[in-house]
Amino acid sequence: MRLSHAIPFAIAAAVGAVGGALAQRAVPGSLAGSATGAAAGVVFAAFARGRTTNPGAGLTWGLGFGFVLWLVVPVGLASALEGGARSMGMLDAARARFPDLVASLVLLGGPLGLALGTLGGLSRRGERPRFSWPRALVVGGVAGIVGGLAFGKWMAQTGFFPLVAGLVGSDSAAVGMTLHLVFAVLIGMSLGVLFQRDLRGFGSGMGWGLGYGMFWWFVGPLTVMPLWLGQPLDWSWSRGAALFGSLVGHVVYGLLAGLLYAAVDRLWVGLLTGSDPIRREPEGPGASLFHSVKWGVAASLSGGLLLNLALLAAGELRAGSGAGFLGSLLVSALLGGAYGLLFHDEAPDLGAAIAWGLLYGLIRWYLDPLTLAPILAGGAFTWTTEAASALLPALVGHLAFGAATASSFLALERRHAEWLLLDPRIASREARRRRPTGTPAPALWVFVLGTGVLLPILLG
Amino acid sequence: MAGHPERSAAVGGAKSRDAASAAERSRRTRLLAIGLASGLLASLALFPALGAARALAIGALTGLVFPFLFRADRAVSDSLMAGASLGVPLWALFPVVVLPLLGGNAPRWTAGEMRALLPALVAFVLFGAALGALARLLATAADRALGPPPAPAPSPVPAPRRVVILGGGFAGVTCAQELERLLGADKSVQLTLVSDVNALLFTPMLAEVAGSSLEPTHISTPLRTSLRRTAVIRGAVSRVDLASRAVVLDAARGEPARTLPYDHLVLTLGAVTNFFGSASIEASAIGFKSLREAMQVRNRVIDAFERAEREQDPGRRRALLTFVVAGGGFAGVELAGALNDFARGMLADFPELAPGDVRVVLVHAGQHILPELSATLGAYAEARLRERGVEFRLGARVKDARPGAVVIDPPETIDAETLVWTAGARPNPLVATLPVARDRRGAVIVDVTLAVPDHAGVWAGGDCAAVTDARTGKPCPPTAQYALREGRLLGRNVFAALRGKAPRPFHFDSLGALCVIGYQTACAELTIPFARRRSVRFSGLLAWLLWRAIYLSKLPGLDRKVRVFSDWVIELFFPRDIVQTAEAGEPSVSAER
Repeated sequence: MRLSHAIPFAIAAAVGAVGGALAQRAVPGSLAGSATGAAAGVVFAAFARGRTTNPGAGLTWGLGFGFVLWLVVPVGLASALEGGARSMGMLDAARARFPDLVASLVLLGGPLGLALGTLGGLSRRGERPRFSWPRALVVGGVAGIVGGLAFGKWMAQTGFFPLVAGLVGSDSAAVGMTLHLVFAVLIGMSLGVLFQRDLRGFGSGMGWGLGYGMFWWFVGPLTVMPLWLGQPLDWSWSRGAALFGSLVGHVVYGLLAGLLYAAVDRLWVGLLTGSDPIRREPEGPGASLFHSVKWGVAASLSGGLLLNLALLAAGELRAGSGAGFLGSLLVSALLGGAYGLLFHDEAPDLGAAIAWGLLYGLIRWYLDPLTLAPILAGGAFTWTTEAASALLPALVGHLAFGAATASSFLALERRHAEWLLLDPRIASREARRRRPTGTPAPALWVFVLGTGVLLPILLG
Repeated sequence: MAGHPERSAAVGGAKSRDAASAAERSRRTRLLAIGLASGLLASLALFPALGAARALAIGALTGLVFPFLFRADRAVSDSLMAGASLGVPLWALFPVVVLPLLGGNAPRWTAGEMRALLPALVAFVLFGAALGALARLLATAADRALGPPPAPAPSPVPAPRRVVILGGGFAGVTCAQELERLLGADKSVQLTLVSDVNALLFTPMLAEVAGSSLEPTHISTPLRTSLRRTAVIRGAVSRVDLASRAVVLDAARGEPARTLPYDHLVLTLGAVTNFFGSASIEASAIGFKSLREAMQVRNRVIDAFERAEREQDPGRRRALLTFVVAGGGFAGVELAGALNDFARGMLADFPELAPGDVRVVLVHAGQHILPELSATLGAYAEARLRERGVEFRLGARVKDARPGAVVIDPPETIDAETLVWTAGARPNPLVATLPVARDRRGAVIVDVTLAVPDHAGVWAGGDCAAVTDARTGKPCPPTAQYALREGRLLGRNVFAALRGKAPRPFHFDSLGALCVIGYQTACAELTIPFARRRSVRFSGLLAWLLWRAIYLSKLPGLDRKVRVFSDWVIELFFPRDIVQTAEAGEPSVSAER
């Protein structure tokens, strides 16, 4: 093996060893340790070193790896060996292994990904797409403020600000809010720095924002905050359940920050680069957006029908209520149009379309029945494990909605593309617009779908 | 036999098709085998949660589908992660919904049931990851062992059938767009549109260009951006050879003449201004059918004001500021209203000129303007235009035009430097060269399906065709509203003919008519939906707003809509532009010409 090929393995082994050692200290009785951490690092390097082309890509792959590693080793193998692979035995085992999940993400997957991503970025400096620091920092900061303000609503509602103020020895809500917004801006800026190259559209912006928001739930309230306050680390599932509202808050923060980052970023690029006559697309933004919304609405028919059937079966939609059925279809049509707007050009194949659709269905579950529906009904949202548990039957319907809508949308998008591709000049531009393979999207899907679906089940 | 080229080509084509389908079958079989093997192996992860039989069945089923979901250029790591992510929905599909339903039970999706199914969730994520990784690894191994899967050979493409559309007006462009929509990505048909201009002119807004209310290019949509797969050729048609089924284009700028063979020919050549044989009028008047002519009118008005301001002779000054419009149909009335607003509005910038110096005279052969509308609306339009300063000569015809004067009958000579002719149109002169039946207007007679009788594969529509409504038996007027519908049916019928299906007859109930007669004033006569024999008539601001809303929605292209809308908004706050964009060297009744 040439020395240059060995470097990623060496770095990954070192980072993994340190992470494993820290995990062993943080989670007594865990399988983690320096040796197992180093081994995990080597596996990660073998598995993903070709894909960790920058710190953001590395972090995404690291989080996906950390999640799968947790499922395979502490939950899967260890539970099977302990004879807990059957229903509630596994649930108890998984809850007992929740600290390992936090350790796997915060101490192993995240640092491994960032380290290999930084190495990958340094070694590919010449071939990387252009990166704009001002864009990343300014747009990310603005997106962070907006996401932070939305998250702040929940924090104010639950009296969380004085706890945050405790980080600087105060108990003032105003100080807590200021600190919260400072963190929101800093995390927003880091979102821009890490993921600028991967955020191609509004939908992927939401996806990466969602994943990054979840990651910060593990890092922030579960890890950094207690350490800063001089308290012992508590990574138990009961602590996670107590912080479930904060998890949804981080989800909403990430969604808004990611969406806004993508929107402002695209506007920035559109005004300063895309408006260049030489770079203009053959179809103006108006035409392509109009088509996308139109196809999204049409595609939502299949997804909306599936969701309605699921809601009927779950008893959340009354069988005789035609108005309710139609109303739900109308909401699905609106959200289908939004899907078209957010996710056009993201899926190069049917599998990717289904994955993005599932992610959209999950986003809808967090935003619609868990957050907006109670507000529209005149009440306040309750981001509690009880509320999430009550809505779990709807989660299946929402996932089905996303997958069916995305599949139909891809079919309509392809039909139009086939037409456009008759012109070879347009064909090359279309190929440029569509997300290529090799981006960290699959790792993002695993991390977001896995934790997004698992945590409400596990923590309830 | 061996020397028969068509038969050899057919045999070669069949062999090539067989080879292509065999290659595709081989590729699919390999993918299915890889998927099945991967699914069965990966299903080991499902054994503890589902039992062997169910696990194997789900593994096999999912494995067969998986290779077709993702592109083959993904790496093992991509495929593993993608498979793992699909484990979540597979869990929601099988143990939560499908398996309970197959067992005659309700889905297991309450919180407690889903928690009880946690082992299955873990198992499905691991199954997905294993499936993704195995599918990729086995595909790589198969490529090494057996060589890469046979690339699907390009299917032999038969010589495309050619549809040639002559004319880039409403009928021609709509026909091309309809054909593009119906044909989709079908490469077996080649579309070509020939037009002497490179843009579709939205004629209903032409008067606003002449009145400097709209920027000229804002009402024209480039054909090349409107049409995706149609080859657009800007050029003039020299002749059409119906016998040899070919269109011959004029030689242009040193290029040789070009011949376009066709299988289907669509004649949508439109109409040209008809001066009824008067050479003097033709030499002096400005027509009003093209963007160039509308800009010519606008420039002429501005130029006339500039010259009138330094003109010392009151008679000459009045002649410079007198604008005669021949024809009281829609085009003439809208133009007279727009010119009147423009000219009188310009007086603010020419303090030396008096309002009494400006005359806009509309000459119309009938007793009522706007014969297409009811008499009451015509009278309303006339009254409003008179109020705003337009003069009328009704029951009169322009007989002659000479430098500085327009002669009308009943005898009167109007001292005027500008005459705009909207009083007649005739089919494109090319139509007269074709060996087809024509009506007394000179338009091509077509049957109810818009096919030209006795000439298979030749179709006609729009202003150059004499179209009869299949349901009412009445002739259809040569208007944009009808041209659009005829163009759409032409597209559908050509497509039907290409597919060997029967064409459909033409029928259209007019939606009504709208005419702008001055600033924020219009007349409307609209057919009531579902009661086509009845109509509603109204006028004033509401009609004007409706005119703008309808025509803005009909204007092709979002960017054009935005541009025109912005022009209208700008007009609310700023005076109309009086920049002269061309010297007045165009045909004129002016003595200085």
